[in-house]
Amino acid sequence: MKIIVCCKIVPNEEEIAVLGSRELDLSAASWKIGQYDLNALESGKQLAAATDGTMTALSVGGPAALDASKIRKDVLSRGPDDLKLVIDGSRGFNDSLQTAKALAGALKEIGDYDVVLCGMGSSDLYLQEVGIQTGALLGLPVLNSVTDIQPAGDGVLRVERTLEDEVEVLEVTLPAVLSVSSEINIPSVPAMREIMKAGRKPVELLGSPDGADASLTTLSELAPEQQDRRQHIIEGDGEEAVDALVQFLKKECL
Amino acid sequence: MSIQSIFVISDDLAALNEICGGVKAMAEKVTAVVFGGRDTADKAASCGADKLLYCPVDDEGAPENYAAAIADEVKKTGGAAVLFNNSIRSRCLAGILGVLLDTCVLTSVNELTEQDGELVYRRMVYGGTAQRHERFAKPYGVATLSGGVFEPVTLPATGDIAPIEGAPAAGIKRIARAEKKEGGTNLVAAKRILDVGRGLAAKEDLEMIRALAKVIGAEVGCSRPVAENNKWLPKANYMGITGVQVKPDFIITLGVSGQVQHIGGINKSKVIISVNKDKAAPIFKNCDFGLVGDIYKIVPALIEKLS
Repeated sequence: MKIIVCCKIVPNEEEIAVLGSRELDLSAASWKIGQYDLNALESGKQLAAATDGTMTALSVGGPAALDASKIRKDVLSRGPDDLKLVIDGSRGFNDSLQTAKALAGALKEIGDYDVVLCGMGSSDLYLQEVGIQTGALLGLPVLNSVTDIQPAGDGVLRVERTLEDEVEVLEVTLPAVLSVSSEINIPSVPAMREIMKAGRKPVELLGSPDGADASLTTLSELAPEQQDRRQHIIEGDGEEAVDALVQFLKKECL
Repeated sequence: MSIQSIFVISDDLAALNEICGGVKAMAEKVTAVVFGGRDTADKAASCGADKLLYCPVDDEGAPENYAAAIADEVKKTGGAAVLFNNSIRSRCLAGILGVLLDTCVLTSVNELTEQDGELVYRRMVYGGTAQRHERFAKPYGVATLSGGVFEPVTLPATGDIAPIEGAPAAGIKRIARAEKKEGGTNLVAAKRILDVGRGLAAKEDLEMIRALAKVIGAEVGCSRPVAENNKWLPKANYMGITGVQVKPDFIITLGVSGQVQHIGGINKSKVIISVNKDKAAPIFKNCDFGLVGDIYKIVPALIEKLS
């Protein structure tokens, strides 16, 4: 089975600085693989092993995110045989349809695949729509919140999808685009051997399709107003500390 | 000036009421779309919409199969905002509909306002580090709204109820469906919450947490790893940007480090009390009262003193 796993390279949100104006400063933030895309990579690796298949990682984004060999190696150490990239600095990939159009274009160029896996959402914008819109653009079956994937004969996957109050078991005819839930697996840490091999795996640049119009206008992006918390901190877990907590609870809460 | 046309599409009637009631004053016409037969439509009639369409989904079918039929209906307006509830199914349907209407989807919107005749959507980005205000730059906009964006209201029932015109597209074949057993707690409505983090060493120790919850009349929630990695509590019980966003009178965090994504889920709490062994844990910057100490000493002591 030919598997393609989409992943987004995102700024590490723990390293984003908030300025006094509440604006964000991303200049010191390093790049990382989106947290939920690690689940998609793990699913791809497992499915490739189960079907004796191949796995390609696919990412679209700007040069700042995708030019670094360190991040490419990080992706390649998590199971893919190769990495394909659409690098385009001319758009922000700030809306799900723009990103989906770039991915759909890349998938058309790749041509031959059985299943495309995406994570639950990117860890920067977390729209949770890119996988669905990519599949819809290509006219393929799409599912979100997938919690199990099993091969079920020629060109068919048996897929478990967990909704809020229901679990569905579905038979998906391939090719299809599936967004996996973050509960589908616990991503494994790459072994040293995989890290060593990653540098030798092929990386290919694909063309960037004609720019899709932005669907959105961003009016502002500001850190939430800081809630003033009193930060009354006591060190200790002895009688005195617990009594202080009990007093606080009785006075303010209970 | 108001928006000409808003569609509200929901697979949950309570959410339909909330959204329709909330946007009624913003639009000249609100059209609601529900899934099920005429009986479902009748139950939804007093949601506040001017017109109600129902997609007759049966046991075999799924709401997602109606994307094309709904798109045809929306396109009759020439320009509209399409608002969904934030369920998994709705997010799937919204994405397909977005492609048919050539627009992106904004999900988990936590505030919707009207400014100069246009809708402005607010949502969290970068794991809760920032809030973004956006509007659509195209004739159609598609969004999913988080629960609690509007207060529920009761409105007179509409008599304009009709089945949708288009037929469902053949969907993905369903082999089985089962009710989810694990359940979960409605933390959104909870007034008192205990918030368990990775400082809890073993699943059995939840008994100690539940005992304290019983004493003070609180619900038990947790951070993401406790639900997703350890699976010690149902997924519906985890709080954070990607989980539930709560607003209780008070919350006591127990062994929670306080990563930005988690804080985004609990920072609407009136009072935050935190217990953690690590003095440097970021949670102490986000709490009103904190104890730097061992939850295994503090929780049993609290149970004893408050019983």
